[in-house]
Amino acid sequence: MKANIFEIKRFAVHDGDGVRTTVFFKGCPLSCVWCHNPESLKKQSELSIYQHKCVKCGNCVRVCPNGAHAIKDDKHVFIRENCIACGKCEEECYFDAIKLYGKEYSVDDLLPILLQDIDFYKDSNGGVTLSGGECLLQYEFCTELLKKLKEHGINTAVDTCGCVSKTAIDSVLPYVDTFLYDVKAFDEDVHKRCTGVSNKAILENLKYLDDMGAKVEIRIPYVPAYNDNQIEKIAEFIKSLKNVTAIKVLAYHNYASSKYEAIGVKNTLPQLVPTEEDRQRAVEIIRRIVDIKVS
Amino acid sequence: MIYIKDADYEYISNKYHDTKKPFDPFMRYIRRDEIFDENTGMNGDDIKQGIFENDKKYEHLPHCIRKARGLEFVLKNTRISCDSRDIFPAINSTDRLLRVTLSDMWRNEILQNVIPENHAERINLQRKGVATIWLDYDHSVPIWDRLFDLGFSGILADSENIRKQKGKLSEEKEAFYESIKIEYEAIIGIVKRMSLLAKNTKGSEKLAVALDNISQNPPKTFYEALLLIYIYFMICEHIEGLQVRSLCNFDRQLYKFYKHDIENGVSEEQIREEIAYFFLQFTAIGNYWGQPVYLGGENADGSSVINELSYIFVDVYDKMGIFNPKVQIKVAESTPEKFMLKVLDMIRRGRNSFVLVGDKLIRQSLIKNLGVTEEEARLCDVKGCYEYAKQGDFGTGMNYINLVKPLEFVLHGGYDGIDQSFILQKSPAPYEYKTFDDLYAEYKKQLFALIDKTVEIVNGYEDYLAEINPLPMLSATIPDCLEKGLDAIARKSVSCSSFMMFGAIADVVDSLTMLKKYVYDRKELTLEEFVSIIDNNFEGHELFRQKLLNDREKYGNNKDFPDSLAVDIDESISGYLNHRKNASNRGGYWFNAGYHVARQYYEQGKKTASLPSGRLKGEELAKNSSPCVGQNREGATAAILTVTKVDATNCVGDVCLDLGVLPSAVKGDDGLQALYGLVKTYFNRGGHALQINIVDAETLRDAQKNPEKYADLQIRVAGWNVLWNNIPPHEQEGFIKQAEALI
Repeated sequence: MKANIFEIKRFAVHDGDGVRTTVFFKGCPLSCVWCHNPESLKKQSELSIYQHKCVKCGNCVRVCPNGAHAIKDDKHVFIRENCIACGKCEEECYFDAIKLYGKEYSVDDLLPILLQDIDFYKDSNGGVTLSGGECLLQYEFCTELLKKLKEHGINTAVDTCGCVSKTAIDSVLPYVDTFLYDVKAFDEDVHKRCTGVSNKAILENLKYLDDMGAKVEIRIPYVPAYNDNQIEKIAEFIKSLKNVTAIKVLAYHNYASSKYEAIGVKNTLPQLVPTEEDRQRAVEIIRRIVDIKVS
Repeated sequence: MIYIKDADYEYISNKYHDTKKPFDPFMRYIRRDEIFDENTGMNGDDIKQGIFENDKKYEHLPHCIRKARGLEFVLKNTRISCDSRDIFPAINSTDRLLRVTLSDMWRNEILQNVIPENHAERINLQRKGVATIWLDYDHSVPIWDRLFDLGFSGILADSENIRKQKGKLSEEKEAFYESIKIEYEAIIGIVKRMSLLAKNTKGSEKLAVALDNISQNPPKTFYEALLLIYIYFMICEHIEGLQVRSLCNFDRQLYKFYKHDIENGVSEEQIREEIAYFFLQFTAIGNYWGQPVYLGGENADGSSVINELSYIFVDVYDKMGIFNPKVQIKVAESTPEKFMLKVLDMIRRGRNSFVLVGDKLIRQSLIKNLGVTEEEARLCDVKGCYEYAKQGDFGTGMNYINLVKPLEFVLHGGYDGIDQSFILQKSPAPYEYKTFDDLYAEYKKQLFALIDKTVEIVNGYEDYLAEINPLPMLSATIPDCLEKGLDAIARKSVSCSSFMMFGAIADVVDSLTMLKKYVYDRKELTLEEFVSIIDNNFEGHELFRQKLLNDREKYGNNKDFPDSLAVDIDESISGYLNHRKNASNRGGYWFNAGYHVARQYYEQGKKTASLPSGRLKGEELAKNSSPCVGQNREGATAAILTVTKVDATNCVGDVCLDLGVLPSAVKGDDGLQALYGLVKTYFNRGGHALQINIVDAETLRDAQKNPEKYADLQIRVAGWNVLWNNIPPHEQEGFIKQAEALI
């Protein structure tokens, strides 16, 4: 069994406790307008070109088996429909101008990579986080991987948007120490406007995890003009849960513009970026409603 | 400034340098004739002349007596000052006078007349960027506890007692004790002179009382202890001409004074103020190598040193926003998390005066290599940048070997790669290395030849160190010296080690790895072709160079092959060098002192040909045990894994990782805890020293353009911290490149 993974980030410090390695799985059921990992959306691998780094050496043209690259008038031209995402050009690009998002890994491929930092996990109460995209779209793989990680005594976290089947949740549940669970909106229509899908399953799954006694940390992206009117309602909903250990309000940022351009998809990022004061206000609202650590 | 009145701040800032003039951080000499009253003594230039005049009376006597007479002359005649705006006195003639007069005279006589060939060879190695060997009589730490327990007068009395007990002595030993007597009587004399002056200076009454006490007795109060440190430091480093490389284990050694004061009703606020005025002296001196002081570690019984005074120290330091004295933190297993989080939070905010050193590793190394006891190892001093030694030991070690030069020799039949004008011994032509192992074996031969040459040169002159720079002031604090009647630097015992440091380990590992991969494994080109490409500094082969630079199989990424080379090079050096005998007058051993390079990454880099790693001719070499600039592609954890694979117990000192971390990675509580996690793992895995820069390239670029906005931005270089604005622009580039590569 293999999974499509677009990045493995070591010394990840904001994806759960301590020093962690985060594995980013490709494919997401949501399409949030503010998505800062647009390379995660599609399930299939895809190539990105960072034009500003390209020196037009022509190595990619030389190694591409399908004529996806060309240098014309001293410009690098990428013909996306010809690309089969084989990754040969990435290997021969010495300037980091080409990156292939999405490579196949087996559990045995991943384990040695994830075990490298085991000393750090132990010294900092850290571990491994599965994220994405939505990692639980590939839940069978996740289950196998998490099982192996637990055998090595590693703390595990799953960062999920919650828009997955109950089967997926049941499958990984015994091997997950913490769920980092995104809640983007409480009102269904707002959620649809922001993400393109209903939040019915998301809220149900969250309730289900809570009933099962899972340790859950809620993450709320804060996006002015999109979900800033949802904070109170989300907090009220969290108040009805028993096992939520922490809530984090994550301020939306627009650093991801270059990634949209690089993978050749339309940039949907909102213009309005919240200030730290805006974020703090949201934190305060939540604090007034629930008695849980909010940051 | 907090704790310090504005007028006082102004006065102390101008005490050592004129702040209206441009500041030169490399200036060794601090002296301000104009702030002194001429009725208190002779001016600085007359003093300097007077030393030579005075010396004529003693020309027939041993150097130690002549030096002591020199110090006596200066301390008797130099101008002094007390001021109500400062709680520390001022002494003029603090421009390392005895070093630049008598010591330099003897040094030149010996090098040029007694061992001229040795001198010529040493200079040649330096000119060619092969090895930088400086005569070292600079890394001293007195046994502070003895100074605190006995005071200047007690040290003198102790020496005289031992002298008496010994009965009839040889002329040489008689001179040794006599030189101590002359120096300490002179020190006590100037302390008395300053006390009298303070008595007659309005607002300096407290200083007068304290000086009066330490002229006769051991220090009693916290303030008197600080005063003693200050006076010892100024006289030893800035007049006697021997650097004092630690102002003591502040929280352990000064705790009894702190406790005494608190029990006698002194407020914590007053202690904080005294510390602030003490710190400000060193901030005002401000030269780039800094004045080290250390905190933490373990007490003799293994308990943590960290106490109230440790927290007061870091808090005052933090609030003052200063960058000198520079601070080492001995991180032991028992060091409390709360203290570490405070220190790491300061580092995170750019208070880069802190370097972390691993107590466990230091103990293991001292026990393994020098046979010290567990207790001695716990109480060892941290001195210099990241060196350490049993209290009272005097190691010398300004011997910087450029590890990539032997590879240049291998690739050029034994000659250097710049202009083929230097050779130690011949090597075969490139086509004769049939396998990588052949080439690597030849590399070690050339490396060992360079080690042999360095040992020969250093042993050749180190026999004369006590003749060049006799050290009565230091020796008197060390019981072993008093017992033997021998100078601290040449006491014919294991206490006098010699150290060799090896720069650019990352460059040589990366270069060897690339040679193996592209010449021997993939056979993409022959060794001759590769040599011809680097001889042309990659001209016409930029794409190939980029391929090399982009190759991720490099030191610092937790990759098996390059890391195994680093481990093997370390073990080969240590196996070949450690426990070889040094100069007979010193009577100690040689040791590998790790991979610290001071500024040689830059100076030797200028004289190093382009490398198979893709580095161009003349570019900077890697710093310390750190990966090459831009080559740590797998991040902080991978760099730590690589560096800690090398067994740092093979080295006595100086295995230091420069860790760059982006500010965004360590923000918030999560970030601080994660940073603490990194530090813990580094030391649990046997790491020695760790210096951390938390800054992004954008900030550095902005600081380069708008220096006025970043007056307090600090960067840790190789063993010290500097203000960003004091680094020359071409060296700033190296730091920016490093920050750009952070992930």
